Amino acid sequence: MEAANSQDDFIPAGLAAFGIEADEIELAVIGAAYQLFWPPIVELIALDTSEVPAERNLDLSKAPPR
Amino acid sequence: MSEALDLSLREQAAAIAAGEVDAAELLESTLARIEERNPALNAVVETFPERSREMLAAAPAGPLHGVPVVIKDEWPLPWRAQRFGAAEMLAEPAPAESGPYRALRDAGAVIVGVGNMHELGAGSTGNVSVYGPARNPWDTDRCPGGSSSGPAAAVAARLVAGSVGADGIGSIRYPAAYCGLTGLKPTFGRSAMDGHHMDAVSTTIVSGALCADAADSRLLDSALFGEELKAGDAGGLRIGVIAGEVSEDVDPAVREACEAAIEDLRRETGGTVREVEIPELAVATLATILIANSESLGGITPERLNDLDPELSPLARGLLKFRVLLPAIATVKSHQIRTVARHAVAALFDEVDVLACPTVPAVAPALEAPVVELPSGTMTADEANVRGGALANLTGIPAISVPVGSADGLPVALQLQAAWGRDELLLDAAEAIERANGRRWVEAIPPPARGAEPLEA
Repeated sequence: MEAANSQDDFIPAGLAAFGIEADEIELAVIGAAYQLFWPPIVELIALDTSEVPAERNLDLSKAPPR
Repeated sequence: MSEALDLSLREQAAAIAAGEVDAAELLESTLARIEERNPALNAVVETFPERSREMLAAAPAGPLHGVPVVIKDEWPLPWRAQRFGAAEMLAEPAPAESGPYRALRDAGAVIVGVGNMHELGAGSTGNVSVYGPARNPWDTDRCPGGSSSGPAAAVAARLVAGSVGADGIGSIRYPAAYCGLTGLKPTFGRSAMDGHHMDAVSTTIVSGALCADAADSRLLDSALFGEELKAGDAGGLRIGVIAGEVSEDVDPAVREACEAAIEDLRRETGGTVREVEIPELAVATLATILIANSESLGGITPERLNDLDPELSPLARGLLKFRVLLPAIATVKSHQIRTVARHAVAALFDEVDVLACPTVPAVAPALEAPVVELPSGTMTADEANVRGGALANLTGIPAISVPVGSADGLPVALQLQAAWGRDELLLDAAEAIERANGRRWVEAIPPPARGAEPLEA
């Protein structure tokens, strides 16, 4: 699917699914955000992270246990 | 009293403690200076002289006794709810004793005003705010940086000698860089955070100081940390320069100044420099954005999104609605990327003491159009800045922005990052850079503070 078509379909459909209204300016902002973030998000989702171990009891004040 | 106003934070504290400066006179002079200089800067969005006088009257004999400071609009005060730079927040703001407020009060400091900030903390430039944009004292047509825009502009213009900001994705370091200040993003959890409207959910935001130099930062951050950040020895410092676009896709003048500062730091500490790779940096940056933007979603409902305050900027309204469309799988994977990034930097810190790169890739952009020209092309300042700012928030490590040069009359800054809990080392390293360059950049004073060019409101 072409990115532009994906954006044209996804944004109005996604907002409508949640009952969220957006005016023209807001739609333009959402479209710009989509164009900026969606390609790297698609790449992120495509990463196989099944081998990444969970960091239990995450403590961001310290290095991860090794 | 103008001489006292222009003292450093530590000099003001020492002069008051020695009886050489009257704290009540200093407070009144500070309020007068804010009245005089602030209209052209919009750095301070509210003062409350009676509250400040009451705070001084009750101030204990702490390390900051009687010293005036500004606090970001992100922190509630007992007499004032935060507005988060916005017409509407996702959380319900309320007056409260936030952790930074208590830390300042208990250290004897006097809060003289609230600093402007980028709307909802969602920008690195400070050009969007319910109060109107704050302006950069080095050039009032330029961005002061965000989201701690007002706290930075207030210190740079010498309205006060120190201020308290917050850093969720670079929000202390970007304005420190744009305004020529020293700004430490503490290790996650080390500085006062309670009372923040996202304290219960945020895994990226920390409080921290914005000051002219590392010694002042050490003093003010000690209050926020609730412990003395002791000076140490950065001798033999092992410096790792981050390879890739964060160091290379940078304005040539910024790159040159940062490379010179790294060499200064190596020479001053008798240390070593090597290049290091962080292959995960690009995806880690995206992961940081996704995590930070998902952590406030609890306050969002479709009904609320359909009834947003019309005074909220169109940009904020659109981005709030965009957040709802972010897939859960992306957030889940972002947390896994966080784990990968934490292990990657932990391994690097076995080999180096600090990671170095430009804080931001270009000097402060124009308020009207905050874009930057980089070797790879033109992009928004936000898009460019987040490349270097996100890693510390994602992993929890401390980071500091240090002024190291000037380009087009605007400050240039180097960022150093260290392992968890080594905040003091970053201050030591910043002081080593100051010694190496003769304190040239921490003592540089913008036009409104040196009275060279009167500003027009």
